[in-house]
Amino acid sequence: MSDEQRSRIEMAIVRAMQKDRVSRRTFLGRAGRGGIAIGAALTLPGLIAACTPGGSAALEWANWPAYIDIDEESDPNPTPYPTLNAFIEQTGINVNYSEVINDNEEFFGTIFPDLEAGNSTGWDIVTPTDWMVEKLIRLGYVQELDHSKLPNLAANAADFAVDQWFDPGNAHSVYWQGGITGIGYNPTITGRQITSFDDLFDPAFKDLGVGLFSDTRDMLSLSLLSLGIVPANATIDDVTRAQEKLLTAAEAGQFRGFYGNEYYDELSAGNLALTIAWSGDVTQMKLYDNADVEFVVPAEGGMRWNDNLVIPNGSTNVDAVHQLMNYWYDPVPATTLAEYIGYFSPVAAVPERIQADADAARADGDDAGADELEVFAATVAPTEDQIANTYPYKQLTEDEETEWNDLWLQVMS
Amino acid sequence: MSRGRGLIPYLFLLPGGAWLIIFFAIPMAFMLLVSLQEGSLSSGYELTWNFGIYPEVIAESSDQIVRSLTYAFATTVLTLLIGYPMAYTIAFRGGRLKNALLLIVILPFFVSFIIRTLNWKMILADNGIVLGTLKDLGVLEQGFHLIATPAGVIGGLTYNFLPFMVLPLYVALEKIDPRLIEAGMDLFASRFQAFWRVTLPLSLPGVVAGSLLTFIPAVGDFINAELIGAANRDVTMIGNIIQFKYLNANDFPAASALGFVLLLGVMVLIAIYTRVVGTERLTS
Amino acid sequence: MTASAPSLGTPPIRSAPIGQRLSGLVLPVITALVVVFLFAPLVVMVVFSFNDPAGRQNITWQGFTLDNYLTLWGRPDITGPMLTSLTIAAISTFVATVLGTLIALALTRYDFRGRSATNLLIFLPMTAPEIILGASLLTLWVSMGVGRGFLTILVAHIMFNVSFVVVTVRARLIGFNRSLEEAGMDLYADAWTTFWKVTFPLIFPGILAAALLAFSLSIDDYVITVFNAGRTVTFPLWVFGVSRLGIPPEVNVLGTLILLLAVAFIVVQLWQARRQAAAGQTVTIRGR
Repeated sequence: MSDEQRSRIEMAIVRAMQKDRVSRRTFLGRAGRGGIAIGAALTLPGLIAACTPGGSAALEWANWPAYIDIDEESDPNPTPYPTLNAFIEQTGINVNYSEVINDNEEFFGTIFPDLEAGNSTGWDIVTPTDWMVEKLIRLGYVQELDHSKLPNLAANAADFAVDQWFDPGNAHSVYWQGGITGIGYNPTITGRQITSFDDLFDPAFKDLGVGLFSDTRDMLSLSLLSLGIVPANATIDDVTRAQEKLLTAAEAGQFRGFYGNEYYDELSAGNLALTIAWSGDVTQMKLYDNADVEFVVPAEGGMRWNDNLVIPNGSTNVDAVHQLMNYWYDPVPATTLAEYIGYFSPVAAVPERIQADADAARADGDDAGADELEVFAATVAPTEDQIANTYPYKQLTEDEETEWNDLWLQVMS
Repeated sequence: MSRGRGLIPYLFLLPGGAWLIIFFAIPMAFMLLVSLQEGSLSSGYELTWNFGIYPEVIAESSDQIVRSLTYAFATTVLTLLIGYPMAYTIAFRGGRLKNALLLIVILPFFVSFIIRTLNWKMILADNGIVLGTLKDLGVLEQGFHLIATPAGVIGGLTYNFLPFMVLPLYVALEKIDPRLIEAGMDLFASRFQAFWRVTLPLSLPGVVAGSLLTFIPAVGDFINAELIGAANRDVTMIGNIIQFKYLNANDFPAASALGFVLLLGVMVLIAIYTRVVGTERLTS
Repeated sequence: MTASAPSLGTPPIRSAPIGQRLSGLVLPVITALVVVFLFAPLVVMVVFSFNDPAGRQNITWQGFTLDNYLTLWGRPDITGPMLTSLTIAAISTFVATVLGTLIALALTRYDFRGRSATNLLIFLPMTAPEIILGASLLTLWVSMGVGRGFLTILVAHIMFNVSFVVVTVRARLIGFNRSLEEAGMDLYADAWTTFWKVTFPLIFPGILAAALLAFSLSIDDYVITVFNAGRTVTFPLWVFGVSRLGIPPEVNVLGTLILLLAVAFIVVQLWQARRQAAAGQTVTIRGR
């Protein structure tokens, strides 16, 4: 073609382009610069990590968030968790702490395929709640513990924290932290004291906001208790009656919603007048976020629960894991932990030690700190009354689990 | 449209297509098999070709299926109504700021979903800044709440799917020559007419794309119903049921089956939609 | 606004009647309202990043502090997940955009056997509930013996992003005027150069939009990531975890910093655009 034709076509093309003409170089420049550079730099460790499953000698520990003391001010040395750092220093065993558990069932969903296939899950130690431990034991997915390596457990554990319904003799698990499920409420909104599970069904509260948990076991068990039935002895007929009680009220719109952890915000903000709640949460809420709230164990009974340390199948660092488990039953780290977390500690000596810390703080003139510690000293172990009036979950067979879940799903939907 | 230009189309398809086949189609085929299994965690699952599970789960969750479709439809309409003017403004009035404005639209979504939602819940708290003031002024009654209501959930869905509508709309609008619109204004009496007769039809591929990108994921959404809706029984969507069945009940066959019911249902709707709108738009 | 080349003639300037002037305001006003609506929770986020809460929850204003910004860097448990998320989002966006654009090109320009099957393959990932997508992929990894971590998350993100890219870019490719390309072919006589010099710049808005969408999808993903993460913690995973007790101010700080970064990007864009105009770039006309 002639030069003239060529240039006219070129002009036409140029005219047809947008203002914001992007040449290949600028595009690659813009896009490539940031992303690729960082990506290349950071992918390498990721690549290495991904290609060497279980190659490191460090312990892989999966836990819930906000479940260990943390030092936010200083640099990690080597972790941001002081008690864990002390362990690493004492024993030379490295621990990789991951706060990846947000929900028992969700976490189970992520490790189940490996366990079923007989592979390593990538975790050496995980922290499920008691009923999930029962399920894991039932399915044969966790290893047995060697108690000869857990002297602190035998020496220091409180009575309420050992030999529980889901794991007799602590054959597979040790108590991490625990609490009570009861009712949290705001008396300035409800206008009166709340004492019973049936208060949740009071139509007067419907518009003020009544919350339930979304958890099958918690809700059906509490309902059973309100009918005077101990959950551990409940027959399927009992459970159906308990479910009907909830279903009728749910269909009438009595309950604002079925909550997981989000109930905390709602109760604190006043969107809920009363709701099923965890003891430790309400303690925290009262101290820091909303001084009006109160926690009460329903008169008919509340539920006692705890999280536990277990060793899933496929973990090979078993000795090191035992050392870690043993460490947590030493009163020194146990006290630090309880002062930070505020839930029940399994070590018997902890409440007195916290009280001692409170006294020391008061002697130093730190009254606010002392007050806070005294609140914790009172709540890091269940009282006799609380032990008497709280119940463990029922051990469910698989069929029962399905039934319970089906019944509960009807209430929620 | 070139007819079968040899290998070229297949070459273009190869990387993406292979990726989707390996990492999507094969796992999903496996899930299809799972849906036909029966069994439990401890006894194991066995492939019994249990096709009966499909009518079973449909009957059990028909409420949620209908509700999910309704909410997704409402969300699509709302995002279209809100998003179209926005996309139009960016495309035709944006000038040099176009890319910047686009970034502004998508910006809230770089910040995690949970931050946005929890902050919204704070804003919409029963006695918070918005509702509290309105209640004090007597405009709203005391018992009024937005959290845990269908309106709240649809609002949440709309908010979170807005960019899915705005971006494709922008893409289609931006390439319309404004001279065509001006010609239209000369031709038709009013701006509105020009819009209706010229701009809108030309932007149709964007409307279709945006509707699909909004409707399809919205049907399977569960997080809005869970967080904003507090999983209230009046707002649970099919996504919540699938979540529960998979994680809590470990009923993998039922969860898979429901997932595929969702898949098929939405596919059918898309087929109808594209037929109505005209497949030429989609496939050119 | 575009300036027209003199040879094409400018439409006569009409004096706009009130009705038109008002209706000319409607659009910007609506847009402004939408922007306010979009950013409302972000304003809260920025404000509360300066909050000094006594407890873990961060919903009542308790005092102004800059501490949150200063201590953030000593919190690898926060900055780590953020960096991971950003990296994954950047890479998955890039790869998905490339893969998706190729597919979009193939679908809109060629009629080949397997078109409907491809269409189906594109739509299905968007339809499938996230938990099914995530869990099925996990099963694949387990059966292949692949450990979960950074790479598996990346693979999953690319997977679900491709569909969104295809649909978005396709909206741009439909009705694309091929005559420009043909002219380009005459000029450059080489498909590759033609693509970069003619096609690509014209479809770039579609690609950019698709990339933005993909980036936000990736950086915000929770369910699919949970199943494919193994030990890796991404930002949404971390936020979901700690938000059990209300959002800690550090999260708001991170969010605000992301916002600032993006605003900085916008400002750079504006500045670049201004420089381009000042440097007297070729006056161009809006393309088809």
